[in-house]
Amino acid sequence: MGDLVRIDGARGEGGGQILRTALALSAITGRPLELENIRAKRAKPGLMRQHLTALRAAAEISGAEVSGARIGATSIGFRPGPVRAGDYHFAVGTAGSATLVAQTVLPALLGATAPSRLVLEGGTHNPASPPFEFLARAFLPLLRRMGAEVDARLVHRGFYPAGGGRFELDVRPPARLAPLRLLDRGAPAAHEAEAVIAHLPDGIAARELEVVAERLGWPEARRTVVRDTTTPGPGNVLLLTLAFEAVSDVVTGFGMKGIGAESLASKAATQAERYLASPAAVGVHLADQLLLPMALGGAGAFTTLRPSRHTRTNIEVIQRFLEIPIRLEEVGRDLWQIEIGG
Amino acid sequence: MEPKTLPSSRPNVVIGLLGTALDSGLGAERWERWRPSVALAQHEDLLIDRFELLAGDSHETLARQVAGDVARVSPETEVRLRRLDVADPWDFEEVFAALLDFADGAAFDPEAEDYLVHITTGTHVAQICLFLLTEARYFPARLLQTAPPRRRRGAGPGRYSIIDLDLSKYDAIAARFGTERAADTSFLKSGIETRNAAFNRLIDDIEKVAIRTRAPVLLSGPTGAGKSRLARRIYELKRRREQVTGPFVEINCATLRGDGAMSALFGHRRGAFTGAVEDRGGLLRAADGGMLFLDEIGELGTDEQAMILRAVEEKRFLPVGADLEVESDFQLIAGSNRDLRVEVARGRFREDLLARLALWTFRLPGLAERREDIAPNLDYELAAHAAATGRRVTFTAEARSAYLRFATAPEATWRANFRDLAASLTRMATFADDGRIRREDVEAEIDRLRAAWRNETEDPDRDILDDVLGAAAAAALDLFERMQLAPVLRVCRASASLSAAGRTLFAASRARKARPNDADRLRKYLLRFGLDWQAVRDEGAPPPA
Repeated sequence: MGDLVRIDGARGEGGGQILRTALALSAITGRPLELENIRAKRAKPGLMRQHLTALRAAAEISGAEVSGARIGATSIGFRPGPVRAGDYHFAVGTAGSATLVAQTVLPALLGATAPSRLVLEGGTHNPASPPFEFLARAFLPLLRRMGAEVDARLVHRGFYPAGGGRFELDVRPPARLAPLRLLDRGAPAAHEAEAVIAHLPDGIAARELEVVAERLGWPEARRTVVRDTTTPGPGNVLLLTLAFEAVSDVVTGFGMKGIGAESLASKAATQAERYLASPAAVGVHLADQLLLPMALGGAGAFTTLRPSRHTRTNIEVIQRFLEIPIRLEEVGRDLWQIEIGG
Repeated sequence: MEPKTLPSSRPNVVIGLLGTALDSGLGAERWERWRPSVALAQHEDLLIDRFELLAGDSHETLARQVAGDVARVSPETEVRLRRLDVADPWDFEEVFAALLDFADGAAFDPEAEDYLVHITTGTHVAQICLFLLTEARYFPARLLQTAPPRRRRGAGPGRYSIIDLDLSKYDAIAARFGTERAADTSFLKSGIETRNAAFNRLIDDIEKVAIRTRAPVLLSGPTGAGKSRLARRIYELKRRREQVTGPFVEINCATLRGDGAMSALFGHRRGAFTGAVEDRGGLLRAADGGMLFLDEIGELGTDEQAMILRAVEEKRFLPVGADLEVESDFQLIAGSNRDLRVEVARGRFREDLLARLALWTFRLPGLAERREDIAPNLDYELAAHAAATGRRVTFTAEARSAYLRFATAPEATWRANFRDLAASLTRMATFADDGRIRREDVEAEIDRLRAAWRNETEDPDRDILDDVLGAAAAAALDLFERMQLAPVLRVCRASASLSAAGRTLFAASRARKARPNDADRLRKYLLRFGLDWQAVRDEGAPPPA
């Protein structure tokens, strides 16, 4: 067991990402974690239910002793044992993001010596967290290139507020994650727009796709309305998959009560335009997710857009656990290169 | 209201009724509406470990739907459907009984679990019953109140608040209750900031009893201790609380004598006796729906006592000369300066009536027993004097301390208690030049009080007045009346007949009259005090030889 790592949750971005990254790293490295001032900068500080779920999930896969795990707690202790491969089932309340829980436990299970199977239930398409398609189309293909075979199956979508989503991950860990250099995204492939609509008028999806056509000029064959009748509650999400030879990214617009279809589609289009306009290989959200596996692999590099506070906070937390240099360099207009290790 | 985070790590158990209207909806669009029972399970900062969802048999489909939805949005929550069958959810008795049954059978373990009673669903009747049962600790729980999102089109689970009826946090509410109660006790004390602990405790008790019971109340204590004033304040308090609708009727029983007593109390029918020229309702009838204060109840004859007892117990009585009983529902407050137990032993007071009065007996201490209250009462009397006369009078600091020094010393006997104090103040206020009571005014008053208290003990009139009228009635006389009545009574006792006494007493005017009516004049004079020749002659000691 390594030295205790004490982290001030009020630093940097000050939200739940610190908790998730720190839990993953603690489980992977075996170093006990003491986290203080959890979510200090949020309106309701301390652990919320989705954080408790992530905490319990991390504890389950690593046999950790946890102290202070309760709603509203602003400090916790986490003392992990060795990560155990196995079949796991995690259900997230409040239609909270099951993908965030997946991101907490997946890196650790990649370090286990045997395959694992994960069943995750709750929200799969939630505001403020990456949708399932981001995992399946953007993140997991890159992990695969690093040697980790992770297959993802969406069984049901789960929208806020009804939830009821479910997806499964089959995790076959590599002996060691391989370094990955992702400086150039390559030539564009077939971009795709999907407007998913559940228990709501189809017109909403059609209007969203019209905005996509207008703003991004994608042909009709690349614009699809997906009707979901199996998810329990109403929901709407616009998924823009930006496909390139070397990498794909997924940009999302979430339909929410009180937000117009045109407005959310227009915002998603703006995000897509920013990525498309830049030569960066990796978008902002994908950059966040890549840091940890690359650091675990001991080396890696990618070009990206201007790093967010999220990204910088992530780097700080990673460097508390792993002695690895991570350099950020501005190499062009809204173009940065992040170099890990080496 | 706060608190948003639950300090305890014990499992949270929510007990709530299925909202047959608010929680309704079976289609997918139900998720677009705010449903309190489901929304409760959607709060990121509220983890419900178990949800006891109470629903009637007829709503089973909805209950299962809601239970399923709760489980979906909150996999951490175990939902238990509980049957609560109520035929009429607007029927207080039925709803209360059903919830009480549930509480009785619930085997709560407040040491191990934190209970939250959700009061947003269900009829208003159910909400009130849940509140009452929680307040009475049948549910050892805190109240959980939920509300939809603020914006009409807003998403999200809305808001919730947890209300601990036990918590000091709600002291503000408790303090308001306290203030109202304090206002009530202060009201009973006429706003006088009394300092005597025993007296204040007594008033607290009286306040509770006054508000909570209609049973008879006995106020004992010496003359002038404030029984009459307190009785009136109790009445005013009950009227403010809308507990009485009828009037306050007050009578000093010492002024009721002979046949007139029955008639005054119980009324009479026309022609019931000589002089009964028309119907008379009587005091008991007048007090219907209100309060009857019988001061010096020990002065009542035993026949009247028996009728009073019946009137209190049966709320009905027979007026003099009537064939039919009349009804009157009043609260009786009795006052006495005598120890009624002694009177019972002497056979002068009915034991059964005392037993009836004795349930709530309060003894008002005399002023000499609560000297620390003289100062606040002095201020009260000053204010009362100013209100009555429109002339504000104040003490100089020196005068006030001199007066209080005397007033609180053992030398001051305050024989007539507050009556003495009020009279003393009235005298000083009247003598005070330009509204200031000075040292010399106080010294003069102290001399007067000393003389009065000394004289009273040596008062030559006192024996005969007390003897004929009784001590209480005698004490109620003005000096003006005492000065006249005492010599009249002495003449009567020294005379062989009413006529003889009349001749002596009216000797001067008799000489000027063609048809003297001395005996009649004397009889009418005595009647004013409830006396007749027999009473004057028979009472007490035999006439001097």
